[in-house]
Amino acid sequence: MYMSSVPEYIKIVEEVFDKFKGREFLYIGKDVRRWDAVEKIKGKSLYTADFLKFYKNAVFVHSVRTKYAHALIKSIDVSEASKYPGVLKVITAKDIPGINDVGYVIPDQPLIADRKVRYIGDIVALIVAEDQMIAREAESLIHVEYEPLEVITDPLQVVDLMTLKEKPHTLIHDERGSDVLVHYKVRRGDMEKALREADVKVEGVYKTPFQEHAYLEPEAAIAIPEAEGGVTVISSTQCPFDVRKAVAKVLGVPLNRVRIVVPAVGGGFGGKEDVANEVAAKAALAAVLTGRPAVSIHTREESIIGHSKRHPMIAWYRHAAKKDGTLLAVEANIVMDTGSYASLGPFVPWRATVHATGPYKVGAARIDTKAVYTNNVYAGAFRGFGNPQVIFAVERQMDLLAEELGMDPVELRLKNILRVGDETVHGQKLTEEHGVGLEEALLKAVEASNWSSKRMEYRKAVGPLRKGIGVAIFYHGNSIGVEGADYSSVTLIINRDGSISFRTGLTEFGQGSTWGLVLIAAEILGVPPSYFKVENPDTSATPDAGPTVASRATVMGGAATVIAAHKLRKRLNEVASHILGCDPEDIVIKAPEVYCGSDPNRRTVWQDVVEQSFWLGIPLQEFGYYRAPRAVWDEETGQGAPYITYTFGAIVAEVTVDMETGLTKVDRIYTAYDIGRVINKVGAELNAEGGAIQALGYGLMEELIHDKDGRVMNPNLSTYYVPTIKDAPEIIPIWVEAHYRKGPLGAKGFGEPSFNAVATAIANAVSHAIGLPVYELPLTPERIYMMLKKAGKI
Amino acid sequence: MLEVRRSDVEYPDVEIVMKINGELKKVKVKPYERLIDVLRNKLGLTSVKEGCGRGECGACVVIMDNRPVPSCLVLAVRANGKSILTLEGLAPEGKIHAIQKALIDVHALQCGFCFPGVIMMSKHLLDNNPDPSEEEIREALDGNLCRCGSYLRFVKAVKLASKYLREGKTYFDESEVLR
Amino acid sequence: MALINILKISTVYSRVSLTFRFNVYIPKDLNDALRALKVEGEGLLPIAGGTDLLVLYRQGLVKFNKLLDLWPLRNSLSYVRFEGGYVKIGALTTVSELLDSRIYMDKRFLGFKDACSGFASPFIRSIATVGGNVGAAHPLSDIAILLLAYDANVKLASLDGERLVPLREFFIDKRKTLRKPDELIVELSFKEPPTNSSTSLIKLDRRVGHSMGYVIVSTYLELIDDIVKDVRIVFDSMGKPYPERAYKTEEYLRGKTLSEDVVKEASESILPNEMRRITDYRSSAEYRVELSKVLLKRALFKTKERILGGA
Repeated sequence: MYMSSVPEYIKIVEEVFDKFKGREFLYIGKDVRRWDAVEKIKGKSLYTADFLKFYKNAVFVHSVRTKYAHALIKSIDVSEASKYPGVLKVITAKDIPGINDVGYVIPDQPLIADRKVRYIGDIVALIVAEDQMIAREAESLIHVEYEPLEVITDPLQVVDLMTLKEKPHTLIHDERGSDVLVHYKVRRGDMEKALREADVKVEGVYKTPFQEHAYLEPEAAIAIPEAEGGVTVISSTQCPFDVRKAVAKVLGVPLNRVRIVVPAVGGGFGGKEDVANEVAAKAALAAVLTGRPAVSIHTREESIIGHSKRHPMIAWYRHAAKKDGTLLAVEANIVMDTGSYASLGPFVPWRATVHATGPYKVGAARIDTKAVYTNNVYAGAFRGFGNPQVIFAVERQMDLLAEELGMDPVELRLKNILRVGDETVHGQKLTEEHGVGLEEALLKAVEASNWSSKRMEYRKAVGPLRKGIGVAIFYHGNSIGVEGADYSSVTLIINRDGSISFRTGLTEFGQGSTWGLVLIAAEILGVPPSYFKVENPDTSATPDAGPTVASRATVMGGAATVIAAHKLRKRLNEVASHILGCDPEDIVIKAPEVYCGSDPNRRTVWQDVVEQSFWLGIPLQEFGYYRAPRAVWDEETGQGAPYITYTFGAIVAEVTVDMETGLTKVDRIYTAYDIGRVINKVGAELNAEGGAIQALGYGLMEELIHDKDGRVMNPNLSTYYVPTIKDAPEIIPIWVEAHYRKGPLGAKGFGEPSFNAVATAIANAVSHAIGLPVYELPLTPERIYMMLKKAGKI
Repeated sequence: MLEVRRSDVEYPDVEIVMKINGELKKVKVKPYERLIDVLRNKLGLTSVKEGCGRGECGACVVIMDNRPVPSCLVLAVRANGKSILTLEGLAPEGKIHAIQKALIDVHALQCGFCFPGVIMMSKHLLDNNPDPSEEEIREALDGNLCRCGSYLRFVKAVKLASKYLREGKTYFDESEVLR
Repeated sequence: MALINILKISTVYSRVSLTFRFNVYIPKDLNDALRALKVEGEGLLPIAGGTDLLVLYRQGLVKFNKLLDLWPLRNSLSYVRFEGGYVKIGALTTVSELLDSRIYMDKRFLGFKDACSGFASPFIRSIATVGGNVGAAHPLSDIAILLLAYDANVKLASLDGERLVPLREFFIDKRKTLRKPDELIVELSFKEPPTNSSTSLIKLDRRVGHSMGYVIVSTYLELIDDIVKDVRIVFDSMGKPYPERAYKTEEYLRGKTLSEDVVKEASESILPNEMRRITDYRSSAEYRVELSKVLLKRALFKTKERILGGA
């Protein structure tokens, strides 16, 4: 029974979910080839920089970056550089026609620094030249006078971990009066009582590093000047509508003068959100100021020093439990380093806070999270968005607790995990409708991995090579929760020849979620996926679908697709009913065949239905819009219902550690995920593998290192190590489908969850192998070796 | 007072001749130009991708005189008189090569940016070792970074492609793959 | 094959501190190259594979506006030869060609398999050369480290003639060698080792593939009845910023039976006394020393196994 306030679109999603319950699917959950497979495999897909071959008179935009990570700009003289042969223009802050800001959430980040610089990637001028080399040569003719300030690279110089009070220091954002960006809290239950009643307590301080996205395609944008001061920008971004907003703001023109087109994108992982705004704005400025097509492409080194990273975390945790393993309380002080600018810094720590106790029933909780500015490279969105950091702390704590209680880590978890009917730490009651498959996931991962016997057997090993097995579980709120207006949209157009145009502002950057949306539309309409053409996101053609972030494309875009497809299907059924004479509900579409279910001899073809619709004046275009049920959050207590639903997962990892060198090899990873209905099976498997390998890097080798002056020590791919094919372990994917009724056909999100707990499962396995607790990622050979040495194990 | 004297004479255009994907191409290059830029911007062969410009990622690998080379670290003048294969030349129009077919079969594709390099390295491997072991495949593709993490599928695909090739199936109709 | 000659390389007068454009001289043959070096002096920088130089250039760490392309000399300077009791490797032999030579099929040269197959990535091996690796004078130069274990000599050529310099004396600082601006490295050679000898090279980093190495060690052993007749131990660094031998450790091992105890003493007591390591962002000095000890042990036993088993 629906209340009148429930919008029609939510009713449709639920109606379609119920209608398809127990039905056999043709495309959903099946092995279906991607639409762009052949184009990409032939090297014909064009990525942003590839368009340069069509613009022979393009000018290059080179970013002149600061010499100091923290300094006041006393003066800047570009006159000499401006006269260098081949230089067309040197742009400084004063040349910006609109507003000099590309801050993603809050306006704290100038496109071109004017008053001060706050990190080593800050731009002080843009050189627009005939080619890149001329621009780089002219760079040495730009004279900037700096007054260097104290450089802060350690977030604990800004706040104290135990009191979370701001310390006296040279302010980075003096205009704000404080370098604490945000403070989030969770308050639940009676902490004093819980601590009094506890039989055991464990505590620890946990640290995680800056992680670089290292998408293979560096940032790029090509801008073409248009009429009325406008511009078209080809941009490598996850969020074209955000880029449009940023470019319009910098140029000082209305949104409708700026068009953003997104071609093939070579990876994003959260990194191509805010920096894409900066890069597009640079190209757009140059195009508008010179009247020529302008290209801004980051080198790999620029990409690494100049775009957001995963937030490092330092967290103090204390867990309290009863002798039988019942979790009584969790306390945590969490400090996240947001670097020089806020970027998505206001949101990432919020997600970390929401997930700070893990997927457990917790009687009492006190969580305080502060994100602070430093002079490091700024931190922003990266697959997992704050959750992998707290998972590391929580799941290490759970292992410590198990050890303290003499319990098996799996047993301890099973005792405390969230199931249907339980309340999350925020007081959100989980129902059947949410889909809660955590227990099933954990049991399946444990069974598949032969956990119990390996856990016993591996500990007995002697000699330099030791094996270990570890587990980590998690939950992950779907979509953006209370971070913003949570909506999405698609447009489906059935063309006169029966082919279908699929339009959405959600972008495809490798993750494959748009393909999932096509499968949904194909299933509901009854046409094969090959009928569809997915159009590139284009702010002048595709609808604003919100950002492609937060594992929301399938859930939110999928729901919008369900709505559009459902409405179209209804109309098609009516037209077919008109042609065939049977009831609209009786119409079966298996394009190209269309017939009456009760009498398959009464039949026609898809093209005919489409043609008849045209003559009958029935529109075959539909716009699907979906807005998520509103999230609830009390700022003071952290109570409410922060997310619409949760994805769950359990990871078991097996490792071999060389005790003489500290080198760890991951042998096997079992990934069991409850992602609700598996829409795009291939895409889900690819994410499970890819997320695991990326997280393996996070667990064992990846860390961006700043020196004390805020310079990045490893700004390239031979010093910043990401896993190669030699590191890829055996990965065993396991799927659990606890359907989410308000999601498209029961689906939940998966982009980020595939990363979340893998590094921690590896860390727990390493800890098992070496017989010592670990507190810091990545677990480099040196870190492990030094722990062993300190413990007298070598 | 600036003391900049510069002219095209100082950096003269050099005409080089390359056999690219079976076709002789004459192109004027600057002595400081990289092969990757000539291939991409002057010849339009944009399958050759620039991921790092430092030979660290493998996205720009092309086969030059039967050797895989990072085209970002090869000066264009050095390609004079050489024979070069890029992904564009791997299969005739309307066809795809066994390696491409295999990559599609095992659903290896994610963002696709590393694929041109991966395919070129796989081709080089299979040209020299028709039936490589898993270890040999991992050895050959060690320099090709794939951040989406399709590595396990690359191993499967090269195995499958090797099977296709040993069965004499070098090319497949594109339409057959599209279905 | 048509060769391009860009003669009359003029100088660019400029106040810009870095030029990113440059000219390339393409020589007809070795003599032509040497003549160009003589005429142009330090202003003309030879480029072999370019895998190091072009990266430094890109970062603005090396400044030049004229390059001497050595690639056309490959027809005469790419080879692996056994001649008069010596193994001779042309300076422009690529790492791939070194692997293709299958020199490591002979157990005395198994270290080449370690050094070449662990060298950067397969496509870098296609262009990185032996001479370039030596000429770069960088600690993390796998081939140079291995060649030091063979006590190789560097042959330098100039218009004035040729000279041989022992590789162990060739490096004088980070990125500095005894090569004079008008000379080219043309060959690396070493005395053919006896049958009861072998080599190995081990490096370890946080990533298995495509890595630089926290520590790289190469060992050469000649054993007679398990007794060390001769030994050479080379590390990426012993204290100076280039590969060097662990002479004292070698001295200790010479004449002894290669037992667990002896190797333990050598690596844990002798080696640390003659080794100085640095701390940088990649690793601490302490860990580097610890790792050097472990890897030395492993390299010695691996080499020994190779001599005995020929594997």
